[in-house]
Amino acid sequence: MNWLLQLYPARWRERYGEEFGAVLASQRASVGLVLDVLGGAIDAHLYPQLQNSNPKPIKEEDTMTLLMLQRCSAGGPKLSPRDQRIASFFMILSALVMAVLYIALTKIYHSVPAVQAVGYASFPALCLVYGEAAYLRKRRGLTQVFILLGGLSGMYLFILAVCVIGNRF
Amino acid sequence: MIRKTKNDAELDDFGRFSEPALLILVSLAEGPRHGYSMTEDIEAIADVRLGPGTLYGALARLEARGLIEALKSEDRRNPYRLTTLGERALRARLDSMMAVARTGQRRLANA
Repeated sequence: MNWLLQLYPARWRERYGEEFGAVLASQRASVGLVLDVLGGAIDAHLYPQLQNSNPKPIKEEDTMTLLMLQRCSAGGPKLSPRDQRIASFFMILSALVMAVLYIALTKIYHSVPAVQAVGYASFPALCLVYGEAAYLRKRRGLTQVFILLGGLSGMYLFILAVCVIGNRF
Repeated sequence: MIRKTKNDAELDDFGRFSEPALLILVSLAEGPRHGYSMTEDIEAIADVRLGPGTLYGALARLEARGLIEALKSEDRRNPYRLTTLGERALRARLDSMMAVARTGQRRLANA
């Protein structure tokens, strides 16, 4: 009887196939059962949106962790593919800008601590840009500017201080 | 006319899956169950054996509405449980049904 499962859409089988097969196997074969499964298959093709609601079962212990992560990451750990693409675009763009800036500063000012700090700060800066674009994009503009510029300035000043102190020894 | 609350209306547009969905919610009110266990329980309480096509059509709708959720399981049968929203919808629907049943019985007694 499990061949009847092939009548369902692939996504539906991926989500419910195994447990559906277990229930199907537990029932006595009959015309009524075949008609019921056929009706279910037609319904699954007519309403494919029903398979998108919750593709992966959650673990009981995940619920609180997910809620906490959603609170902490100000937008949720579940980034949509669009959010990921936008954040990646901003990160790549920032990497190019940082590289050009670093090369230009090195040509003009050579290896002074302020230029060294730009080089060292570039990687953490990219992480900050990615995080901002991914999780804070839907926040108020002022909040975004405050976190991004504040974060970049604070990080740059800290690394600059380390470079200045490091160059003295 | 049955007066419906907002929660009660959650089960309204399930079409032919309305009754199976209600039976599933009643079955899950006792605790998490997987599909096979639900069909056995529903047969015991309502004398109706849901076929897998009907059962999973109703389960998918309930899950899409957030009235139930699947729990992770080691074997291939995922148990489901009522969500808070599902519990509210079930209470509202049962209250409506009880109000109708009480009215019907009172009228029959006076007939």
